[in-house]
Amino acid sequence: MTKRLFNQCLCCLLFLSFNAASKEYLIILKDHLFYPSQITIPANKKVKLLIENQDSTPEEFDSFDLNREKVLYPNRKSIIYIGPLSKGYYEFFGEFSPNTARGVVIVGDEEAQHANN
Amino acid sequence: MLITSLVMSLNQLLPVAILLVLLQVVKKQSALKIGSALLIGALMSFMYMQSASWVSQWFEHQGLEYSQIGLCITIFIAVLVFAIKQKSAAFYIAVISTITLYLSHYIIYLTSFWQSNDAGQSLFIGTLLGVGICLSFSVLLYFLMNAIKHRFGMYPLFTLLAFNSAAKLLVALDLASQIDLITNTATVWDLRDVLSENSELGRVLRALVGYEATPDLMSVLIYSTSSVIFLSLCYVISASMSKERV
Repeated sequence: MTKRLFNQCLCCLLFLSFNAASKEYLIILKDHLFYPSQITIPANKKVKLLIENQDSTPEEFDSFDLNREKVLYPNRKSIIYIGPLSKGYYEFFGEFSPNTARGVVIVGDEEAQHANN
Repeated sequence: MLITSLVMSLNQLLPVAILLVLLQVVKKQSALKIGSALLIGALMSFMYMQSASWVSQWFEHQGLEYSQIGLCITIFIAVLVFAIKQKSAAFYIAVISTITLYLSHYIIYLTSFWQSNDAGQSLFIGTLLGVGICLSFSVLLYFLMNAIKHRFGMYPLFTLLAFNSAAKLLVALDLASQIDLITNTATVWDLRDVLSENSELGRVLRALVGYEATPDLMSVLIYSTSSVIFLSLCYVISASMSKERV
């Protein structure tokens, strides 16, 4: 009986952990520039980046620091999950326009993030 | 635009060139087979590129990642089968899947910016330089690996092939965490200050053996486990096949 209860609790915890909503951040790509070009997220938490390409040409979101790579089609939205990350600076850029489309994810304390927002 | 085209062409063509060279050293294929694999691969890339915008909206904007994960796993299995059995079908599947995975990005880039003012010439020269560098690197790698094969046998070649194939599983793993299919684990080491993935050597090592400056624990485990499995299967099955021949 106890074992069954334990198993059920474990299943619930697993279900909740898989369905825990990640905080969402919107990034817009316009005129080959990311807006905002700097986002601050909390340390050790997974977050969702919703990236909207408002340009008429595709772009590739690329980040060696975050190990992420995704083609952003014109006038389409794309989703990228990042984290959990330790504190630091993680650069990202548009591979098709690396001179202009650049940004950075700053991973810091929850308090610092509130202060920034 | 010229530098971007050069970097883009190197990023996307080098993994294809390296795999083609390694497979060619394992067992030499005829020019007809290589040509047809390249042609079919280019056609597949073009078809994939045409449908990518539509596929990207599947499964809540995650369709592209699912299709690329499928391609990465297919490449790993096909290369493993080719290393063990040296079947032409495995060669075709490995090369065509790799071209589809990498070349489609470059085709998207080319077709998007070709129409821009003054971009055509830069795109053309950048691509030409990229292809030239890839060809030079491939020729050097081919002769180096052939010399190693004749001097030390197949095992160093299998080892490099195992690392190169395991790198495709790392790509699949990154794509899976990108769409929240798996959760990222803690970063094991941070070598960004020692050797950045963005540097010339970093890019070559990334294409050759899947170098990552900031891998997480899961990536390290998958990379080492899949490399060991690849090598074990190559050694065990090759040994049993040579025993049967005797």
